[in-house]
Amino acid sequence: MTRAAVIAAIVWLELLRRKDIYVLLILLGALLAGLVSLNVFGLGGATAYVKDIGLLLAWLFGWILAVSATARELPQEETRGTIFSLLAKPLRRAELLAGKWLGCWSIVAAAALAFYAIVAAVALAKGAGFDAVALAQGFVLHLCALGVICALALCCSTRLNADAAAALTYVVSAACLLLAPRLPHLAAYASGFRFTALLALYHALPHFDLFDMRRRLVHDLGPLPWPVFGAVAAYGIVLTALFLLLAWTAYRRKRFSRGALGA
Amino acid sequence: MEPALETRELSVTFPSPAGPVRALDRVSLRVEPGQVFGFLGPNGAGKTTTMHVLLGFVQATAGEARVLGVDVRRAIARQRIGYLAEHPETYRFLTGRELLRLTGRLFRLRGAALRARVADVLAEVGLDNAAADRRIAAYSRGMLQRIGLAQALINDPDLLILDEPTGGLDPIGRLAIRRLIGRLRERGKTVFFSSHELSEVELVCDTAAILAGGCIVAQGPLRALARPGESLERCFMRVVGAPEEPA
Repeated sequence: MTRAAVIAAIVWLELLRRKDIYVLLILLGALLAGLVSLNVFGLGGATAYVKDIGLLLAWLFGWILAVSATARELPQEETRGTIFSLLAKPLRRAELLAGKWLGCWSIVAAAALAFYAIVAAVALAKGAGFDAVALAQGFVLHLCALGVICALALCCSTRLNADAAAALTYVVSAACLLLAPRLPHLAAYASGFRFTALLALYHALPHFDLFDMRRRLVHDLGPLPWPVFGAVAAYGIVLTALFLLLAWTAYRRKRFSRGALGA
Repeated sequence: MEPALETRELSVTFPSPAGPVRALDRVSLRVEPGQVFGFLGPNGAGKTTTMHVLLGFVQATAGEARVLGVDVRRAIARQRIGYLAEHPETYRFLTGRELLRLTGRLFRLRGAALRARVADVLAEVGLDNAAADRRIAAYSRGMLQRIGLAQALINDPDLLILDEPTGGLDPIGRLAIRRLIGRLRERGKTVFFSSHELSEVELVCDTAAILAGGCIVAQGPLRALARPGESLERCFMRVVGAPEEPA
Protein backbone atom coordinates (compact mmCIF):
# COMPACT_ATOMS: atom_id res chain seq x y z
CA MET A 1 0.00 0.00 0.00
CA THR A 2 1.52 3.33 -0.98
CA ARG A 3 1.47 6.23 1.46
CA ALA A 4 -1.23 7.99 -0.57
CA ALA A 5 -3.39 4.86 -0.23
CA VAL A 6 -2.89 4.93 3.57
CA ILE A 7 -4.16 8.52 3.64
CA ALA A 8 -7.10 7.46 1.45
CA ALA A 9 -7.87 4.63 3.90
CA ILE A 10 -7.99 7.14 6.78
CA VAL A 11 -10.42 9.30 4.77
CA TRP A 12 -12.63 6.25 4.15
CA LEU A 13 -12.72 5.30 7.82
CA GLU A 14 -13.54 8.87 8.81
CA LEU A 15 -16.35 9.34 6.28
CA LEU A 16 -17.87 5.92 6.96
CA ARG A 17 -17.90 6.61 10.69
CA ARG A 18 -19.33 10.11 10.28
CA LYS A 19 -22.44 8.64 8.62
CA ASP A 20 -23.17 11.50 6.13
CA ILE A 21 -23.31 8.96 3.31
CA TYR A 22 -25.94 6.80 5.00
CA VAL A 23 -28.14 9.84 5.55
CA LEU A 24 -27.98 10.75 1.85
CA LEU A 25 -28.64 7.14 0.79
CA ILE A 26 -31.70 6.89 3.05
CA LEU A 27 -32.91 10.30 1.87
CA LEU A 28 -32.57 9.34 -1.80
CA GLY A 29 -34.37 6.03 -1.26
CA ALA A 30 -37.14 7.73 0.73
CA LEU A 31 -37.62 10.52 -1.83
CA LEU A 32 -37.81 8.09 -4.75
CA ALA A 33 -40.07 5.67 -2.89
CA GLY A 34 -42.36 8.58 -2.01
CA LEU A 35 -42.32 9.81 -5.60
CA VAL A 36 -43.29 6.41 -6.95
CA SER A 37 -45.90 5.51 -4.37
CA LEU A 38 -47.66 8.87 -4.04
CA ASN A 39 -48.29 9.37 -7.79
CA VAL A 40 -47.24 13.03 -7.58
CA PHE A 41 -48.52 15.32 -10.37
CA GLY A 42 -50.89 12.55 -11.51
CA LEU A 43 -48.11 10.95 -13.56
CA GLY A 44 -48.87 7.39 -12.52
CA GLY A 45 -48.47 5.98 -16.00
CA ALA A 46 -45.33 7.95 -16.94
CA THR A 47 -41.93 6.53 -16.08
CA ALA A 48 -39.42 9.03 -17.48
CA TYR A 49 -39.93 11.41 -14.56
CA VAL A 50 -38.75 8.70 -12.12
CA LYS A 51 -35.50 8.37 -14.07
CA ASP A 52 -35.22 12.14 -14.47
CA ILE A 53 -35.73 13.00 -10.80
CA GLY A 54 -33.73 9.99 -9.63
CA LEU A 55 -30.70 10.93 -11.72
CA LEU A 56 -31.05 14.59 -10.73
CA LEU A 57 -30.97 13.56 -7.05
CA ALA A 58 -27.98 11.26 -7.68
CA TRP A 59 -26.12 14.21 -9.24
CA LEU A 60 -27.21 16.62 -6.52
CA PHE A 61 -26.29 14.30 -3.64
CA GLY A 62 -23.00 13.29 -5.27
CA TRP A 63 -22.11 16.96 -5.70
CA ILE A 64 -22.99 17.81 -2.07
CA LEU A 65 -21.04 14.83 -0.76
CA ALA A 66 -17.99 15.52 -2.95
CA VAL A 67 -17.75 19.18 -1.93
CA SER A 68 -18.58 18.77 1.76
CA ALA A 69 -16.27 15.79 2.25
CA THR A 70 -13.28 17.13 0.33
CA ALA A 71 -13.36 20.80 1.34
CA ARG A 72 -12.93 20.01 5.03
CA GLU A 73 -10.20 17.36 4.80
CA LEU A 74 -7.11 19.61 4.77
CA PRO A 75 -8.47 22.46 6.97
CA GLN A 76 -9.55 20.05 9.70
CA GLU A 77 -6.10 18.42 9.72
CA GLU A 78 -4.78 21.87 10.65
CA THR A 79 -7.48 22.90 13.12
CA ARG A 80 -7.29 19.66 15.10
CA GLY A 81 -3.46 19.61 14.88
CA THR A 82 -3.17 16.17 13.26
CA ILE A 83 -1.25 17.67 10.33
CA PHE A 84 1.82 17.82 12.60
CA SER A 85 1.96 14.13 13.41
CA LEU A 86 1.12 13.32 9.78
CA LEU A 87 3.85 15.45 8.21
CA ALA A 88 6.34 14.23 10.82
CA LYS A 89 6.23 10.94 8.89
CA PRO A 90 8.16 10.41 5.63
CA LEU A 91 5.13 11.61 3.71
CA ARG A 92 5.48 14.10 0.86
CA ARG A 93 2.88 16.81 0.63
CA ALA A 94 2.09 15.61 -2.89
CA GLU A 95 1.33 12.16 -1.41
CA LEU A 96 -0.89 13.76 1.23
CA LEU A 97 -2.87 15.66 -1.43
CA ALA A 98 -3.09 12.60 -3.70
CA GLY A 99 -4.28 10.48 -0.76
CA LYS A 100 -6.91 13.00 0.29
CA TRP A 101 -8.22 13.29 -3.26
CA LEU A 102 -8.18 9.54 -3.80
CA GLY A 103 -9.97 8.88 -0.51
CA CYS A 104 -12.67 11.49 -1.08
CA TRP A 105 -13.24 10.67 -4.74
CA SER A 106 -13.34 6.90 -4.22
CA ILE A 107 -15.84 7.07 -1.37
CA VAL A 108 -18.01 9.54 -3.28
CA ALA A 109 -17.77 7.18 -6.27
CA ALA A 110 -18.91 4.28 -4.08
CA ALA A 111 -21.81 6.40 -2.81
CA ALA A 112 -22.67 7.40 -6.41
CA LEU A 113 -22.74 3.71 -7.36
CA ALA A 114 -25.22 3.12 -4.55
CA PHE A 115 -27.28 6.15 -5.71
CA TYR A 116 -27.40 4.77 -9.27
CA ALA A 117 -28.33 1.32 -7.98
CA ILE A 118 -31.24 2.80 -6.01
CA VAL A 119 -32.40 4.87 -9.01
CA ALA A 120 -32.14 1.87 -11.35
CA ALA A 121 -34.01 -0.35 -8.90
CA VAL A 122 -36.81 2.17 -8.41
CA ALA A 123 -37.04 2.81 -12.16
CA LEU A 124 -37.20 -0.95 -12.83
CA ALA A 125 -39.89 -1.35 -10.20
CA LYS A 126 -41.83 1.34 -12.04
CA GLY A 127 -41.35 -0.54 -15.31
CA ALA A 128 -38.74 1.83 -16.77
CA GLY A 129 -35.48 0.31 -17.89
CA PHE A 130 -32.11 1.87 -18.70
CA ASP A 131 -29.87 1.10 -21.64
CA ALA A 132 -27.09 -0.73 -19.77
CA VAL A 133 -24.22 0.64 -21.87
CA ALA A 134 -25.57 4.20 -21.76
CA LEU A 135 -26.08 3.91 -18.00
CA ALA A 136 -22.50 2.66 -17.55
CA GLN A 137 -21.21 5.54 -19.69
CA GLY A 138 -23.31 8.04 -17.76
CA PHE A 139 -22.00 6.67 -14.47
CA VAL A 140 -18.35 6.81 -15.59
CA LEU A 141 -18.72 10.39 -16.83
CA HIS A 142 -20.45 11.29 -13.57
CA LEU A 143 -17.41 9.87 -11.74
CA CYS A 144 -15.18 12.06 -13.93
CA ALA A 145 -17.23 15.12 -12.93
CA LEU A 146 -16.98 14.13 -9.26
CA GLY A 147 -13.20 13.72 -9.64
CA VAL A 148 -12.93 17.26 -11.00
CA ILE A 149 -15.16 18.62 -8.20
CA CYS A 150 -13.10 16.82 -5.52
CA ALA A 151 -9.87 18.22 -7.00
CA LEU A 152 -11.37 21.73 -7.17
CA ALA A 153 -12.53 21.54 -3.53
CA LEU A 154 -9.11 20.24 -2.46
CA CYS A 155 -7.43 23.06 -4.37
CA CYS A 156 -9.62 25.69 -2.67
CA SER A 157 -9.04 24.14 0.78
CA THR A 158 -5.24 24.43 0.56
CA ARG A 159 -5.50 28.14 1.37
CA LEU A 160 -9.05 28.61 2.73
CA ASN A 161 -10.86 27.29 5.77
CA ALA A 162 -13.40 24.48 5.30
CA ASP A 163 -16.50 26.68 5.04
CA ALA A 164 -14.93 29.15 2.60
CA ALA A 165 -13.48 26.34 0.46
CA ALA A 166 -16.85 24.55 0.33
CA ALA A 167 -18.75 27.77 -0.51
CA LEU A 168 -16.28 28.69 -3.26
CA THR A 169 -16.41 25.19 -4.74
CA TYR A 170 -20.23 25.17 -4.72
CA VAL A 171 -20.36 28.56 -6.43
CA VAL A 172 -17.69 27.79 -9.04
CA SER A 173 -18.98 24.32 -9.89
CA ALA A 174 -22.62 25.47 -10.03
CA ALA A 175 -21.63 28.42 -12.23
CA CYS A 176 -19.66 26.09 -14.51
CA LEU A 177 -22.57 23.66 -14.79
CA LEU A 178 -25.32 26.22 -15.29
CA LEU A 179 -23.63 29.30 -16.76
CA ALA A 180 -20.82 27.99 -18.96
CA PRO A 181 -23.09 26.34 -21.58
CA ARG A 182 -25.00 29.64 -21.99
CA LEU A 183 -21.96 31.84 -22.55
CA PRO A 184 -21.96 31.44 -26.38
CA HIS A 185 -25.58 32.66 -26.45
CA LEU A 186 -24.60 35.69 -24.39
CA ALA A 187 -21.57 36.25 -26.62
CA ALA A 188 -23.86 36.29 -29.67
CA TYR A 189 -25.41 39.51 -28.35
CA ALA A 190 -22.05 41.09 -27.47
CA SER A 191 -19.39 42.68 -29.61
CA GLY A 192 -15.76 43.76 -29.42
CA PHE A 193 -13.97 43.12 -26.13
CA ARG A 194 -17.07 41.70 -24.39
CA PHE A 195 -17.49 39.12 -27.16
CA THR A 196 -13.83 38.07 -26.86
CA ALA A 197 -13.98 38.01 -23.05
CA LEU A 198 -17.14 35.88 -22.97
CA LEU A 199 -15.70 33.41 -25.46
CA ALA A 200 -12.41 33.27 -23.52
CA LEU A 201 -14.39 32.59 -20.33
CA TYR A 202 -16.37 29.88 -22.14
CA HIS A 203 -13.17 28.09 -23.11
CA ALA A 204 -11.45 28.64 -19.75
CA LEU A 205 -14.24 27.38 -17.46
CA PRO A 206 -14.56 23.65 -16.78
CA HIS A 207 -17.52 22.25 -18.72
CA PHE A 208 -19.34 20.01 -16.27
CA ASP A 209 -22.25 19.89 -18.74
CA LEU A 210 -20.14 17.60 -20.96
CA PHE A 211 -20.21 14.90 -18.26
CA ASP A 212 -23.97 15.09 -17.84
CA MET A 213 -25.71 12.24 -19.73
CA ARG A 214 -28.99 12.49 -17.87
CA ARG A 215 -31.01 13.60 -20.91
CA ARG A 216 -29.71 10.71 -23.00
CA LEU A 217 -30.59 8.28 -20.22
CA VAL A 218 -34.04 9.71 -19.49
CA HIS A 219 -35.10 9.81 -23.13
CA ASP A 220 -33.41 6.51 -24.08
CA LEU A 221 -31.18 8.10 -26.74
CA GLY A 222 -28.64 5.30 -26.41
CA PRO A 223 -24.94 5.37 -25.61
CA LEU A 224 -22.44 7.98 -26.77
CA PRO A 225 -20.11 7.07 -29.63
CA TRP A 226 -16.99 5.65 -27.95
CA PRO A 227 -14.56 8.28 -29.34
CA VAL A 228 -16.77 11.03 -27.86
CA PHE A 229 -17.04 9.19 -24.57
CA GLY A 230 -13.25 8.71 -24.47
CA ALA A 231 -12.59 12.37 -25.27
CA VAL A 232 -14.92 13.58 -22.50
CA ALA A 233 -13.41 11.14 -19.99
CA ALA A 234 -9.90 12.32 -20.98
CA TYR A 235 -11.06 15.93 -20.54
CA GLY A 236 -12.16 15.04 -16.99
CA ILE A 237 -8.81 13.43 -16.21
CA VAL A 238 -6.91 16.45 -17.54
CA LEU A 239 -9.06 18.87 -15.49
CA THR A 240 -8.59 16.78 -12.35
CA ALA A 241 -4.81 16.67 -12.88
CA LEU A 242 -4.76 20.43 -13.46
CA PHE A 243 -6.61 21.21 -10.20
CA LEU A 244 -4.41 18.75 -8.27
CA LEU A 245 -1.33 20.43 -9.72
CA LEU A 246 -2.67 23.83 -8.62
CA ALA A 247 -3.39 22.40 -5.16
CA TRP A 248 0.15 21.07 -4.88
CA THR A 249 1.61 24.42 -6.00
CA ALA A 250 -0.36 26.17 -3.25
CA TYR A 251 0.39 23.55 -0.60
CA ARG A 252 3.98 22.48 -1.17
CA ARG A 253 5.56 25.35 0.76
CA LYS A 254 2.70 26.14 3.11
CA ARG A 255 3.96 26.86 6.62
CA PHE A 256 2.33 25.09 9.55
CA SER A 257 3.10 26.86 12.76
CA ARG A 258 0.19 26.50 15.17
CA GLY A 259 1.48 27.83 18.49
CA ALA A 260 4.97 28.20 17.14
CA LEU A 261 5.37 31.72 18.40
CA GLY A 262 3.77 30.92 21.68
CA ALA A 263 6.07 28.11 22.72
CA MET B 1 30.81 10.41 13.95
CA GLU B 2 27.92 12.16 12.23
CA PRO B 3 25.65 14.02 14.68
CA ALA B 4 22.09 12.79 15.14
CA LEU B 5 20.86 16.33 14.80
CA GLU B 6 22.64 19.47 13.72
CA THR B 7 21.58 23.01 12.94
CA ARG B 8 23.88 25.72 11.65
CA GLU B 9 23.03 29.40 11.96
CA LEU B 10 19.35 28.58 11.68
CA SER B 11 17.08 31.63 11.41
CA VAL B 12 13.32 31.86 10.97
CA THR B 13 11.39 35.06 10.40
CA PHE B 14 7.59 35.13 10.39
CA PRO B 15 5.65 37.89 8.68
CA SER B 16 3.17 39.68 10.94
CA PRO B 17 0.95 42.80 10.63
CA ALA B 18 3.37 44.65 12.91
CA GLY B 19 6.36 43.69 10.74
CA PRO B 20 8.58 40.62 10.50
CA VAL B 21 9.05 38.65 13.72
CA ARG B 22 12.36 36.90 14.17
CA ALA B 23 11.45 33.60 15.84
CA LEU B 24 14.92 32.03 15.60
CA ASP B 25 18.20 33.90 15.30
CA ARG B 26 21.26 31.93 14.13
CA VAL B 27 20.56 28.85 16.23
CA SER B 28 23.36 26.29 16.10
CA LEU B 29 22.85 22.96 17.84
CA ARG B 30 24.66 19.67 17.76
CA VAL B 31 23.21 16.51 19.29
CA GLU B 32 25.38 13.39 19.28
CA PRO B 33 23.94 9.90 18.71
CA GLY B 34 22.75 8.28 21.94
CA GLN B 35 22.37 11.56 23.81
CA VAL B 36 19.29 12.60 25.74
CA PHE B 37 19.22 16.29 24.94
CA GLY B 38 17.06 18.78 26.84
CA PHE B 39 15.86 21.82 24.93
CA LEU B 40 14.86 24.50 27.41
CA GLY B 41 13.55 28.01 27.24
CA PRO B 42 10.78 30.28 28.46
CA ASN B 43 7.48 30.54 26.60
CA GLY B 44 7.95 32.18 23.19
CA ALA B 45 11.68 31.39 23.09
CA GLY B 46 11.37 29.43 19.82
CA LYS B 47 11.58 25.81 21.02
CA THR B 48 8.56 24.60 19.06
CA THR B 49 9.62 26.62 16.01
CA THR B 50 13.01 24.88 16.10
CA MET B 51 11.27 21.50 16.26
CA HIS B 52 8.95 22.49 13.43
CA VAL B 53 11.95 23.37 11.25
CA LEU B 54 13.55 20.01 12.10
CA LEU B 55 10.35 18.25 11.01
CA GLY B 56 9.88 20.28 7.83
CA PHE B 57 6.67 22.09 8.90
CA VAL B 58 8.43 25.46 8.71
CA GLN B 59 11.10 26.45 6.21
CA ALA B 60 14.15 28.18 7.66
CA THR B 61 14.77 31.72 6.41
CA ALA B 62 18.52 31.13 6.66
CA GLY B 63 20.93 28.45 7.82
CA GLU B 64 20.62 24.69 7.54
CA ALA B 65 19.41 21.75 9.57
CA ARG B 66 20.18 18.05 9.20
CA VAL B 67 18.84 15.04 11.06
CA LEU B 68 20.72 11.73 10.91
CA GLY B 69 22.81 13.23 8.11
CA VAL B 70 19.86 14.18 5.87
CA ASP B 71 18.64 17.69 5.05
CA VAL B 72 15.36 18.24 6.94
CA ARG B 73 13.65 19.57 3.81
CA ARG B 74 13.63 16.04 2.36
CA ALA B 75 10.75 13.75 3.37
CA ILE B 76 13.16 10.82 3.71
CA ALA B 77 14.79 12.64 6.65
CA ARG B 78 11.75 11.65 8.70
CA GLN B 79 12.04 7.92 7.99
CA ARG B 80 14.07 7.33 11.18
CA ILE B 81 12.47 10.02 13.36
CA GLY B 82 9.69 9.71 15.91
CA TYR B 83 7.77 12.82 16.96
CA LEU B 84 5.38 13.56 19.78
CA ALA B 85 3.67 16.95 19.60
CA GLU B 86 3.03 19.14 22.63
CA HIS B 87 -0.70 18.44 22.36
CA PRO B 88 -0.80 14.97 20.81
CA GLU B 89 -3.93 15.31 18.72
CA THR B 90 -4.85 12.38 16.56
CA TYR B 91 -7.73 10.80 14.65
CA ARG B 92 -10.32 10.26 17.34
CA PHE B 93 -12.57 8.20 15.06
CA LEU B 94 -9.92 5.44 14.94
CA THR B 95 -9.12 2.88 17.59
CA GLY B 96 -5.62 2.97 19.03
CA ARG B 97 -4.67 -0.19 17.16
CA GLU B 98 -6.00 1.14 13.84
CA LEU B 99 -3.99 4.33 14.30
CA LEU B 100 -0.80 2.37 14.92
CA ARG B 101 -1.38 0.06 11.95
CA LEU B 102 -2.02 2.97 9.59
CA THR B 103 0.98 4.88 10.98
CA GLY B 104 3.15 1.79 10.52
CA ARG B 105 2.06 1.57 6.90
CA LEU B 106 3.30 5.13 6.34
CA PHE B 107 6.72 3.69 7.24
CA ARG B 108 6.10 0.80 4.83
CA LEU B 109 5.71 -1.80 7.60
CA ARG B 110 3.56 -4.76 6.49
CA GLY B 111 1.89 -7.97 7.62
CA ALA B 112 3.37 -9.91 10.52
CA ALA B 113 6.16 -7.38 11.07
CA LEU B 114 3.59 -4.61 11.46
CA ARG B 115 1.40 -6.64 13.82
CA ALA B 116 4.41 -7.52 15.95
CA ARG B 117 5.60 -3.92 16.03
CA VAL B 118 2.12 -2.69 17.06
CA ALA B 119 2.06 -5.21 19.91
CA ASP B 120 5.58 -4.16 20.98
CA VAL B 121 4.85 -0.44 21.11
CA LEU B 122 1.54 -0.98 22.90
CA ALA B 123 3.43 -2.94 25.55
CA GLU B 124 6.18 -0.30 25.60
CA VAL B 125 3.76 2.53 26.43
CA GLY B 126 1.60 0.40 28.72
CA LEU B 127 -1.67 0.25 26.76
CA ASP B 128 -3.51 -3.07 27.07
CA ASN B 129 -5.53 -4.76 24.31
CA ALA B 130 -8.87 -3.47 25.58
CA ALA B 131 -7.63 0.11 25.46
CA ALA B 132 -6.00 -0.44 22.05
CA ASP B 133 -9.29 -1.61 20.57
CA ARG B 134 -11.27 1.34 21.93
CA ARG B 135 -11.93 4.52 19.90
CA ILE B 136 -9.37 7.23 20.72
CA ALA B 137 -12.29 9.62 21.34
CA ALA B 138 -12.81 7.74 24.61
CA TYR B 139 -9.20 8.08 25.80
CA SER B 140 -8.12 10.09 28.85
CA ARG B 141 -5.33 12.72 28.63
CA GLY B 142 -2.76 10.21 29.83
CA MET B 143 -3.90 7.57 27.34
CA LEU B 144 -3.74 10.14 24.52
CA GLN B 145 -0.14 10.82 25.50
CA ARG B 146 0.59 7.09 25.48
CA ILE B 147 -0.95 6.46 22.07
CA GLY B 148 0.89 9.55 20.79
CA LEU B 149 4.14 8.07 22.07
CA ALA B 150 3.27 4.68 20.59
CA GLN B 151 2.78 6.19 17.11
CA ALA B 152 6.07 8.09 17.54
CA LEU B 153 7.83 4.79 18.28
CA ILE B 154 6.17 2.63 15.61
CA ASN B 155 9.15 2.90 13.22
CA ASP B 156 11.69 2.13 15.98
CA PRO B 157 13.20 5.61 15.42
CA ASP B 158 16.86 6.44 15.92
CA LEU B 159 15.93 9.99 16.90
CA LEU B 160 12.90 10.81 19.02
CA ILE B 161 11.71 14.43 19.13
CA LEU B 162 9.42 15.11 22.07
CA ASP B 163 7.72 18.46 22.58
CA GLU B 164 6.81 18.89 26.26
CA PRO B 165 6.20 15.15 26.72
CA THR B 166 5.31 15.41 30.40
CA GLY B 167 3.05 18.47 30.13
CA GLY B 168 -0.33 17.87 31.79
CA LEU B 169 0.58 14.40 33.03
CA ASP B 170 0.20 13.17 36.60
CA PRO B 171 3.30 11.92 38.51
CA ILE B 172 2.67 8.33 37.38
CA GLY B 173 2.54 9.43 33.74
CA ARG B 174 5.73 11.46 34.15
CA LEU B 175 7.52 8.51 35.71
CA ALA B 176 6.41 6.31 32.80
CA ILE B 177 7.84 8.82 30.30
CA ARG B 178 11.12 9.03 32.26
CA ARG B 179 11.42 5.25 32.29
CA LEU B 180 10.69 5.08 28.58
CA ILE B 181 13.40 7.65 27.84
CA GLY B 182 15.77 5.63 30.04
CA ARG B 183 15.03 2.47 28.05
CA LEU B 184 15.56 4.31 24.76
CA ARG B 185 18.90 5.63 26.03
CA GLU B 186 19.97 2.08 26.93
CA ARG B 187 19.18 1.02 23.34
CA GLY B 188 21.40 3.80 21.99
CA LYS B 189 18.56 6.01 20.73
CA THR B 190 18.85 9.78 20.62
CA VAL B 191 16.15 11.78 22.40
CA PHE B 192 15.67 15.51 21.81
CA PHE B 193 13.02 16.95 24.05
CA SER B 194 11.74 20.31 25.10
CA SER B 195 10.41 20.87 28.56
CA HIS B 196 9.52 23.49 31.13
CA GLU B 197 10.04 20.91 33.85
CA LEU B 198 13.63 21.56 34.89
CA SER B 199 13.49 18.76 37.46
CA GLU B 200 12.59 16.32 34.65
CA VAL B 201 15.48 17.58 32.56
CA GLU B 202 17.90 17.13 35.48
CA LEU B 203 16.70 13.56 35.90
CA VAL B 204 16.95 12.35 32.31
CA CYS B 205 19.27 14.57 30.26
CA ASP B 206 22.99 14.37 29.55
CA THR B 207 23.16 17.63 27.67
CA ALA B 208 20.94 20.67 27.26
CA ALA B 209 20.60 23.91 25.40
CA ILE B 210 18.77 26.96 26.66
CA LEU B 211 16.97 29.18 24.18
CA ALA B 212 15.82 32.74 24.91
CA GLY B 213 14.42 35.25 22.45
CA GLY B 214 15.18 32.91 19.54
CA CYS B 215 18.92 32.65 20.44
CA ILE B 216 20.89 29.87 22.12
CA VAL B 217 22.13 31.41 25.37
CA ALA B 218 23.72 28.30 26.88
CA GLN B 219 24.57 24.82 25.58
CA GLY B 220 26.60 21.92 26.90
CA PRO B 221 26.68 18.99 29.32
CA LEU B 222 24.23 19.52 32.14
CA ARG B 223 26.96 19.53 34.80
CA ALA B 224 28.89 22.22 32.96
CA LEU B 225 25.92 24.55 32.46
CA ALA B 226 25.43 25.45 36.10
CA ARG B 227 28.07 27.07 38.27
CA PRO B 228 29.34 25.09 41.27
CA GLY B 229 26.55 24.85 43.82
CA GLU B 230 23.99 26.36 41.45
CA SER B 231 20.74 24.53 40.72
CA LEU B 232 19.56 24.11 37.11
CA GLU B 233 16.59 26.35 37.90
CA ARG B 234 18.82 29.17 39.12
CA CYS B 235 21.14 28.66 36.17
CA PHE B 236 18.12 28.85 33.82
CA MET B 237 16.91 32.10 35.45
CA ARG B 238 20.40 33.59 35.15
CA VAL B 239 20.99 32.77 31.49
CA VAL B 240 17.54 33.81 30.26
CA GLY B 241 17.83 37.05 32.22
CA ALA B 242 14.76 36.47 34.42
CA PRO B 243 14.48 38.80 37.44
CA GLU B 244 16.05 37.35 40.58
CA GLU B 245 13.75 36.22 43.37
CA PRO B 246 14.09 38.55 46.39
CA ALA B 247 16.10 36.95 49.19
